Amino acid sequence: MNFIWDNIFRQTDKERTLTQRLRQNVLFQDLTGTELRLLENIVNVRSYRPSETIFRQGEAGVGMYIISKGAVNIYVEEMINATGELQSVPVTHLSEGDFFGDLALVEENSRRSATAISAEETVLIGFFKPALLEIAQRNPTAGVKILLRLGEVLGRRLRETTAKITELKRETKTT
Amino acid sequence: MTAVEYAIVRERRIKLFFFLGSLILAFLFVLFVNNMMVSLIVAVTMYYLLAPLVDLLERWGLSRIWATTIPFLTVIVVVALTSALLLPALWDQVKVLQNEADKYTKAFSELLDQAEGQFGAFFKSGENPSLRHQVVPLVSDWAAQFFKGLPDLISKSFTVLLLAPFFGFFLLLDGRDLLRKWLNFVPNNIFELSLNLSYQIGTQIGGFVRARLIESVFVAIITWVGLMILGFPFALALAFLAGVLNIIPYVGPVIAAGPVILISLANGDGLTGVLLIAGLYVLIQFLDGAILVPFLVARIVNLHPVTVIVAVIMGSQLLGILGMIICIPLVSALKVTTLAVYRHLINFRT
Repeated sequence: MNFIWDNIFRQTDKERTLTQRLRQNVLFQDLTGTELRLLENIVNVRSYRPSETIFRQGEAGVGMYIISKGAVNIYVEEMINATGELQSVPVTHLSEGDFFGDLALVEENSRRSATAISAEETVLIGFFKPALLEIAQRNPTAGVKILLRLGEVLGRRLRETTAKITELKRETKTT
Repeated sequence: MTAVEYAIVRERRIKLFFFLGSLILAFLFVLFVNNMMVSLIVAVTMYYLLAPLVDLLERWGLSRIWATTIPFLTVIVVVALTSALLLPALWDQVKVLQNEADKYTKAFSELLDQAEGQFGAFFKSGENPSLRHQVVPLVSDWAAQFFKGLPDLISKSFTVLLLAPFFGFFLLLDGRDLLRKWLNFVPNNIFELSLNLSYQIGTQIGGFVRARLIESVFVAIITWVGLMILGFPFALALAFLAGVLNIIPYVGPVIAAGPVILISLANGDGLTGVLLIAGLYVLIQFLDGAILVPFLVARIVNLHPVTVIVAVIMGSQLLGILGMIICIPLVSALKVTTLAVYRHLINFRT
């Protein structure tokens, strides 16, 4: 599961302003200064305490989060035995600059496929479907740029997933 | 509960308290400050009507402030010019109608007498006091109150005319920002739900407001044209009334047709005239149902007739004629909101 949640576009810088943080995200890297300023006024900045749940697996999801400060652990609820008891299995640890939940931006009636819990004092930039639609309405050029990048991210994730599944199939055959 | 968990729960409770507190305060403010509710309803209507245009201008490269100011000023100029052209004529018609109110009451009482005479066989004389003596004072009172309350309604309208554009402008300019800032009070655990909910409610109410307004303007225009073709007096005032009352489903068109039929009877148009007028109003409702409603059906909130009547009665008791008109958009908004909240709460968690 790690390969799905791992951020393949990870940035390393520590302290960044909201605009800088947005500019450094792969989804918004093509935006001009004006488009970024519009985006800055549309996103939601949220603070989380350590161990605070950001969202739970199975909940309806409406958008993605970029980690502006802090870190987030991703867990998947798995059935551990025949009684149906669930256990949270950690799948990845995300840090500053990483983003997660992007599938919810394009999926209709999206459900969270994992649980996200903040690992420390964390500040997240929330970019949700209503914001994406607002940008597409108010500045379609910016909307197209974001959607193209989002397509690229999802495509890359799909390619990596396919590669991983092929690899797993090959391993299963050989054992 | 660990110290961190306790801190999280405490923070959520504080945020929820401020969120709900600000919501209740805003609600009380709107409810109890004079003219605030009507001004806000008009402002929200302006917002939903102009928002697509403002977004379009912004898409063409204008800054938000200009994209808001240009259509806003244009609408104000257009409304002012239209009012300057139509209001004197409308006012003249209302004045004439007021002066001739006695004539129409008299005609109405005669009509009641005739009806009573014709159906007299069904009533045992002496047991039922005259229908005329019961109904006519009620109608006269209502008409007198309407015309007496008219100056007050107009003075209120002036306050609303000043406040509503002011609110409308800032809603268009900063409304989304304000909502975003207000949503900052929402605790983290219900933030996504609240955000999505506010978006859904906004979209549905926007569609509803635009659809109802288009419908009302359509009804007013075809009523005006129809009455002009028939050469009916007070066409403009009656068409305006038909447009406004069309906001009230089922009951509105009937109330709007009432004075027209009365005037027709008072003018001695006879049965043919009454049938023509009734036919015109039925035709207008048919055209509305056949042409407009199919296009707007998804956006018009269907209220059950019983809900409409209960809402109209409550509205009239609370705020008079104005209450009758604004209760339907309010109840529709409440229905949209309740349904969206319910669906969302059911669907949000598996």
